Amino acid sequence: MSLDFFIEALQRLLPGVPLTLTLAFLSTGIGAVFAFALAGMRLSGILPLDWLARGYVFVFRGTPLLVQIFIIYYGLSQFPEVRHSFAWPILREPFWCAIIALSLNTGAYASEVVRGGLLSVPQGQLEAARACGMSGLLLFRRIVLPLAIRQALPAYGTELILMVKATSLASIITLMEITGLAAKMISDTYRVIEVFVVAGAIYLVINFVLTRIILLAEHWLTPHLRARPDGVVLPSDALIGDRA
Amino acid sequence: MTGLPSTGTAAAVRLTDLHKRFGALEVLKGISLEAREGEVVSILGASGSGKSTMLRCINMLEVPTSGTVTVGGETIALVRGRNGESRPADRRQVDRIRSRVGMVFQSFNLWSHKTVLENVVEAPIHVQGRPKRECVEEALGLLEKVGIADKRDHYPAHLSGGQQQRAAIARALAQRPALMLFDEPTSALDPELVGEVLRVMRGLAEEGRTMLVVTHEMGFARDVSNRVVFLHQGLIEAEGAPDALFGGGGSERFQRFIAG
Repeated sequence: MSLDFFIEALQRLLPGVPLTLTLAFLSTGIGAVFAFALAGMRLSGILPLDWLARGYVFVFRGTPLLVQIFIIYYGLSQFPEVRHSFAWPILREPFWCAIIALSLNTGAYASEVVRGGLLSVPQGQLEAARACGMSGLLLFRRIVLPLAIRQALPAYGTELILMVKATSLASIITLMEITGLAAKMISDTYRVIEVFVVAGAIYLVINFVLTRIILLAEHWLTPHLRARPDGVVLPSDALIGDRA
Repeated sequence: MTGLPSTGTAAAVRLTDLHKRFGALEVLKGISLEAREGEVVSILGASGSGKSTMLRCINMLEVPTSGTVTVGGETIALVRGRNGESRPADRRQVDRIRSRVGMVFQSFNLWSHKTVLENVVEAPIHVQGRPKRECVEEALGLLEKVGIADKRDHYPAHLSGGQQQRAAIARALAQRPALMLFDEPTSALDPELVGEVLRVMRGLAEEGRTMLVVTHEMGFARDVSNRVVFLHQGLIEAEGAPDALFGGGGSERFQRFIAG
């Protein structure tokens, strides 16, 4: 093991970071739309929608992401209907197949996080909003969503970190993100330990930064849970230090 | 729609033969009640007598099973759904009526993610669509009036119960309500905090505001209200001027109730 080789590995793997981040953020973003839609279906009180969402979550949470990626990338192309459809230019690209699989998968997990957040909104605060004439979208936008997001944020942060790591599976369908580049370098050099240690360290740094950003967002979104203006310090403050 | 004191005698709210059933349990068994503009009506009764349910029917937080609710001369249209439950025929009518009825809850129900000032200006700005500047100015005046102007940038979690309830009263007043509903506003407060809330409510009564107050505070009912209504098992058991009722004119059950 030489320092020079670590530096060389770092130089060869770092170019994979943008693709890793693109896969993680784009699919988490698309997945968030699915998550809200699914949570809305679960809470709609309309039985067919509820069951549809339950079925979706059951399937995508209950099967491995790798299997989902394989089915979308290798499986769909076996159907001539798919190959001749308007969606083929997208479905033949490994990048988009990975985005689709990751989005569908995180959508299932995150829908439960979002649902928990929506259910956590105190009934009394909802009632107060209704009592002054709020309903529908206004009630959702002004009261429900802000309260639900604050509640869901810690769990959603974990989901984001899981997604960063899940992108490594995209290397299996030829994408040259961090893990893809690492595998290629190993096949060139046969130095498994050093290369994977460097790859792991890169993920660690990404997730460290991400964790801090999520904590910061939490701190920023929950002034009502922080220190009182009269100087009493709440435990949550100690987590992040006093930025005020 | 003004919040100015009114000494008119028009009915601010009228309930006619109100029934409310939760499954097999009939909580309201035919209540008819009228409150005129500027009147302060105290609603007393043991827990489970239906007094909170009755109050919540006025702004449709509970939808009556049958009977009519008329607020400011406008009767809320109800229809019976396919499942047999009644519901408002027009959500917009309910929202419109709610926007001019202020409600104060037992557990305050301030929005925890908003400061006191943000709580107070929320409905005027976002429901009533009034200019922001005007709403903020008015809100500051209301916070002054309830005595917590210095807490305007605090979050509800950082206030005592009495301060939270006074903020909630300011929030209701900011709607410029034609009618104020109080649902046991002091029941969740420590005894030493009850006074500050009652003082604010007494001030509102003296301004001539129309108030329906569900309460256990006998002093408030006797000294401040124009009329006392005593509910027992979903029906009005006694009703009248506080002097008459507390002077021994109520039913025997009412006398036992106030004797504790």
